[in-house]
Amino acid sequence: MLLMQQIVNGIMLGGVYVMVAVAFTLTIGMLNFLNFTIPALFMVAAMVFWATMSGGFGEGFDSLFGSVLPVGMQWVVGVLLALIAATLCSLLIERFTYRYMKTRYGDATEHAIPLVSSLGFLIIFEHIVIMIWGTDPMSLNSPFGAATWRVGGLLIGVPQLISLVLSIAIVAALHLLLKRTKTGRALRSIAENPDTALLLGVDVQRIVPVVYVVTGLLCAIAGILFAINYRTVGPYIGEQVATIAIAGMVLGGLGNIWGAIVGGLIVGLLEALATYWFGADIVKVPIWGLLLLVLVIKPTGLFGQSAIGKGKF
Amino acid sequence: MSQSLLELQSVSKSFGGLRVINDVSFAVEKGSRTALIGPNGAGKTTLFNLISGVYDLDAGSISIDGMDISHMPAHKRCRFGLSRSFQNIRLMPHLSTVENVMLGQHSRSSLPGQLFPIGIGRNRSVREAEDALQSAGLNTYPGQIVADLPYGVQKRIEVVRALMAKPKLLLLDEPAAGLNATETDALLDLLTQISATGVTLLVVEHDMHFVSRLCQDVVVLNFGEKIFHGTPQSAQQEPAVLEAYLGTDHVA
Ligand SMILES: Nc1ncnc2c1ncn2[C@@H]1O[C@H](COP(=O)(O)OP(=O)(O)O)[C@@H](O)[C@H]1O
Ligand SMILES: [Mg+2]
Repeated sequence: MLLMQQIVNGIMLGGVYVMVAVAFTLTIGMLNFLNFTIPALFMVAAMVFWATMSGGFGEGFDSLFGSVLPVGMQWVVGVLLALIAATLCSLLIERFTYRYMKTRYGDATEHAIPLVSSLGFLIIFEHIVIMIWGTDPMSLNSPFGAATWRVGGLLIGVPQLISLVLSIAIVAALHLLLKRTKTGRALRSIAENPDTALLLGVDVQRIVPVVYVVTGLLCAIAGILFAINYRTVGPYIGEQVATIAIAGMVLGGLGNIWGAIVGGLIVGLLEALATYWFGADIVKVPIWGLLLLVLVIKPTGLFGQSAIGKGKF
Repeated sequence: MSQSLLELQSVSKSFGGLRVINDVSFAVEKGSRTALIGPNGAGKTTLFNLISGVYDLDAGSISIDGMDISHMPAHKRCRFGLSRSFQNIRLMPHLSTVENVMLGQHSRSSLPGQLFPIGIGRNRSVREAEDALQSAGLNTYPGQIVADLPYGVQKRIEVVRALMAKPKLLLLDEPAAGLNATETDALLDLLTQISATGVTLLVVEHDMHFVSRLCQDVVVLNFGEKIFHGTPQSAQQEPAVLEAYLGTDHVA
C-alpha cells in the first residue's frame, strides 16, 4: 500500500515536471532554442503567488486586497499575478534574447547569443527575487489546507490531483493549438523554415511571441501548483525542478511534446520511488542513471527525431 | 501602361561589390504569361527575391497593381496579390500535403480565425485545400508527409500552395527543372488552367520549348541587365539573345 501511495505521489509530482518539460521542449522544437530562463519563470510565478498569499508584498498590499476581496479569494489574485508576472518575464526574454538569434532572413546559426543571455536572465531574475525576499525558503499558507481524498486506502491530495488534471488538460489544449489551428500550423512552419514561412505570409515577428506566452503560462501554472503542493518556495526551486524536468525532456526526446509528457511522468515516478526506497539524498542518481542508459541505447530519446540540432525541426 | 500588373522601374541590386541586377525595367501585363529567361547567374532568382521581398532594393521601384511595394515586408506582399514558388523546393517537409497547401492560405486569414481548432472556418479551409489538390490531380496524397513524395509531385504541390493565397501574380522559379516529360506536361496543364482563371504568371525557365508552349512574352536577362523583351519567336532570332546563350546551347 505504501508503494502504491508512492506511485500516486510520483504521478502527481510528474504533472509539474511535465509542464516544465513541455515548456522546454516547445521552445526547442519550435524555435530551436534551449531557453535557460524557464526555471526563473517557474520560480517567479511561485514567489509571486506566495507573496500574495503570505504577506510577501507587505501590509499595504494585503490590506488593499483584504478590503476589496471576500475572504478566501486571495488565491485568485495570487494566481492571476503569478500568470502575469511569468508571462511578462517570458516576453522580456523573447525581446532581448531570441530576437537577436536571427539576423534578418539570415540563418539561425548564432545559437550562443540567446543561450548565454537566457542564462544571464535566469541569474538576473533569481537575484532580483533574492534582493527582495532573501535566500531563505518561505512557507506558504495553503489556500486549500490539507484537503485530501481517500480512495481505497490511498491518500490523494486535492491540490495534487488538480495539478495532474490541469497539466493533462493544458498539454492537450496545447496539442490542439499546434495541430489544428492556423497559428499552430504557422508555428510549425516557422520550426521547419522561418524564411519560407515569412514568404508565405506568416508574420514571424508577431507569432514567435506566442511560444513565449505559452511558455510563461505553462511555467507559471507549474510554479503555482508546486507552491501549493509543497508549501515551500525559494529563489532556487526553479533550478531544482528544471534540472529534473530537463532530464525528463531529454529522456522523452528533444522537441517532442509527447516525449516530454512521458519523460516528465517517468522522472516524477522515479523520484517518488527512489525517495521511498533509497531516501531523499540520492534521488538524482536513478534519474540521471536512467537518462544515461536511455541515451546509450537510443541517443534521440524515447520519441525524439534525429533532425534536432540541424536547425530545423 | 494602366494594364500592367507588375511594374519594375530601374531596379538595381548589388551583393558586396557585385552588381547582380543593373537598372532593370519592365512591365508584366495583367493576365499574361511571361517568361523570364537568361543564362545561369544572370540574376533571375535575385530578381524574384527582390519582387517577393527576400532582399531590399538598392535602387528603383517595384509596384503591383499600381501599389508601390518596394519596401514592404515580405509577409505583407502576399496580401497584395503576390505569391511564389522556389527554385529549390521549399515545402515544409514534415507537414502533410494538405497542411502545406493550407499554409498557403495563411495570408488571407483573420486573427481570430487563426486560433480556432474546429468549426466552419476550419472545415472550409480544409475543403478548399483538398479541392485545390484535386483539381491539380494531386488528390491521392492528402495526409502524406511531403518529404516522402516524388520530386515532380512536390513541385506541383508547391504551385498549388502558392495559389492558395489567391494571388494576382504568381512567380514560378524554374517549375519544370528536373521534371520528366510526363511531369512537365502535367505542370503545363496545371499552369494553363491557372492562367485561365485570370492569374498572371511570371515564370523563370530554361527550357525554350516549355517557354514557347506556355508564354506569349519573354524577358531576357544577361549579367543582371535586361537585353530583350518580346515574343518567344522573336527572342530566338534576336542576335543579343543568341549571343548571351552562345556556348551554353540553351537556344535550340
Ligand atoms: N545572397 C547573395 N549573396 C551574394 N551573391 C549572390 C546572392 N544571391 C545571388 N548572388 C549572385 O548573384 C548572381 C545571380 O544569381 P541568381 O539570381 O541566382 O541567378 P539565376 O537565378 O539567374 O541563375 C550570381 O552571380 C550569384 O552568385
Ligand atoms: Mg536561379
